[in-house]
Amino acid sequence: MARARKVELDCEEPFSLAAARVVGVRAAEVFEHAEGVLDLEDTERVHDMRVATRRLRAAMEVFEPCFPRKRHRKALKRVKALADALGERRDRDVTIGALEGMAGELREGDRDALAALVEARREEQRKANEELAPFVAPKRLRKLRRRLDELVEAAR
Amino acid sequence: MKAREVEGLEPGEPLRPNAARIVNTRLGELRALIEPALDPGAAEAQHDLRIAAKRLRYVLEITGLCFGEEATAARRAARQLQGILGEIHDCDVMLPGAAGIESLQALLRTHRALLFRRFNELVQAQASAGVWAALERSLQ
Repeated sequence: MARARKVELDCEEPFSLAAARVVGVRAAEVFEHAEGVLDLEDTERVHDMRVATRRLRAAMEVFEPCFPRKRHRKALKRVKALADALGERRDRDVTIGALEGMAGELREGDRDALAALVEARREEQRKANEELAPFVAPKRLRKLRRRLDELVEAAR
Repeated sequence: MKAREVEGLEPGEPLRPNAARIVNTRLGELRALIEPALDPGAAEAQHDLRIAAKRLRYVLEITGLCFGEEATAARRAARQLQGILGEIHDCDVMLPGAAGIESLQALLRTHRALLFRRFNELVQAQASAGVWAALERSLQ
């Protein structure tokens, strides 16, 4: 999992300046992890982008009063939608990994049923990936980035 | 579970008092949810506690520097809670899909019971160490 970049904060600085700095860094991290997230062979990519999105969402919630209310609400709504789409994909990745990991511990007679269950989850994973695709399309991400940049600027 | 709104935040005021208000609210939410989650079958309460631990952890990741070592210890404790409750939740999510696969169901139930025991021990250890009380004091 990608580590969050350290943001230098001063506890005596205004809350709104801390908001601009933290949200700016966390937003940049989301876009840094956008490459290759639809790759079903490399599940770490979607995980990293999901974690980055979760950190951004947390920062936006912590610093909510520092931003113009309407713009913040719209931006957060879009970040949440992205996080949900990434989460749907990630949940399937985790379930498939866990089920496959348990195969050796099951009774011989249950292994075919487990294989069918894994295949059903793979189908859900493909569907979740298709539904994620528009959220991580370059044009949509550029728009979200602009929106977040403007939000950060408004807090300074 | 919706997060409780934090009252009295002032964007023009320093980070520390604002952060203290947020941490205090999130800490209160977490503490209130510990007891109900100690019932082994209370999957929903355990899920709510996981979310509360996650929220406290994230606010401490951002603002913990204002509250010293107590915040570092509390952030780690929240992360541990979140981790183990996440594994319990994974079992709860997988169990319905395992219907009709007897040995998989048995494996998931055994694993969940083991995780719950570890969760219970973790809660007791954190209470003995006074992690949450120390964090609360550091906010003053």
